[in-house]
Amino acid sequence: MVQYKLIYYPVRGLAETTRLILHYANVPYEDKHISFEEWPNMKTTTPFGQLPILEVDGKPLAQSFAIARFLAKKHGFAGKDDWESAQLDAIADFMKEDITTECRSYFMARMSCGEGDKDELHNTVFKTSMEKNMPVLEKLLKESGSGFFAKSGVSWVDFYIASFIETFERLIPSVMSVYKDLLKHKETVYALPQLKKYLESRPKTQF
Amino acid sequence: MVQYKLSYFPVRGLGEVSRFIFHYANIPFEDNRIGGDDWQKYKSETPFGQMPVLEADGKVLAQSFAIARYLARKHGLAGKDDWESAQLDSIADLLKDFNTELRPYFGIIMGHSKDNKDEVYKTVFKPTLEKNLPILEKLLKDSGSGFFAKSGVSWVDFHVASYIETLEGLGPDVVANYKEITKHKAKVYALPQLKKYLDSRPKTQF
Repeated sequence: MVQYKLIYYPVRGLAETTRLILHYANVPYEDKHISFEEWPNMKTTTPFGQLPILEVDGKPLAQSFAIARFLAKKHGFAGKDDWESAQLDAIADFMKEDITTECRSYFMARMSCGEGDKDELHNTVFKTSMEKNMPVLEKLLKESGSGFFAKSGVSWVDFYIASFIETFERLIPSVMSVYKDLLKHKETVYALPQLKKYLESRPKTQF
Repeated sequence: MVQYKLSYFPVRGLGEVSRFIFHYANIPFEDNRIGGDDWQKYKSETPFGQMPVLEADGKVLAQSFAIARYLARKHGLAGKDDWESAQLDSIADLLKDFNTELRPYFGIIMGHSKDNKDEVYKTVFKPTLEKNLPILEKLLKDSGSGFFAKSGVSWVDFHVASYIETLEGLGPDVVANYKEITKHKAKVYALPQLKKYLDSRPKTQF
């Protein structure tokens, strides 16, 4: 049996998608947490000086989406065919580039680890991004009709988006409360029976 | 036969990787280069208000890497197996992170930012290249094939080569220090399947 080790900080962040995949598929793995203090010492041992890393029988794979897509494909939830997989890739990349990367300065300010005035960034960066981009995601959900982003059912992209919607909701519930379909999507994902045990036992983290 | 149309601005940017795939695999496609008013008219029809967009028999796919990966998989340019494909995906996403780090400098070049170009070249452009190009060179060395995948050429070679072409234009002195990545670009651009396209395509800064 393949030995999986997922290495990341003790937060949900970019690794939660993979943790959800492995729990959903009932695949055993070592969930290794590296503290922010320990990280500088191990940085040079990683392929790109970044986390998360997945070790598969000791061989490393970097980059959260490469990891998620690889595991999801192995276990049958990366879309039913290449076209659907590509559509899912597009949604994930849109979320990453246009939402989480664009809002990074805001999140850093909110979490007091970045420069910038959080109230100003809220209005200029975050609110603008949410108002432009959340409706796009809701439209995709509606077009799918399955309750998940792929017509064929749950995929790694549902796990990725649900985890970030959870983070956004915790940070700014007042902005997120209007996006009812996305909040419902998050609840649908979190109600999957295969995830129940993990969701009840995992550490609660802000992001 | 599938009717392909790739819509993108008249630059290399995020569209060139897919143009290379089509030309390398000798697949006919409509290379729809648009901008200005034509783009504004088309924009609301696109999934995310962005380009590139691929139409395959009229069905639409957005996002440069989703498009490139889809086409590459179809034409044997996405690694020999799922593990190698995943390694290639990770290198491509590293390039995205690399590009995000360079945004403050690109912003100045493209006229969105009024920050001081020489200052940002020193504080952002040069250090970011010095951090990331050695990583790419090590990956090439580990591969041993001259391409990023041990098994041979892939979509990621196309994307990296085009990106290095852009960086060379912006900072030739810095890029010149990285012989392996420069050699890689030359190797990709020497592929016979790309010759006709490379000889005829418009020359662009990005």
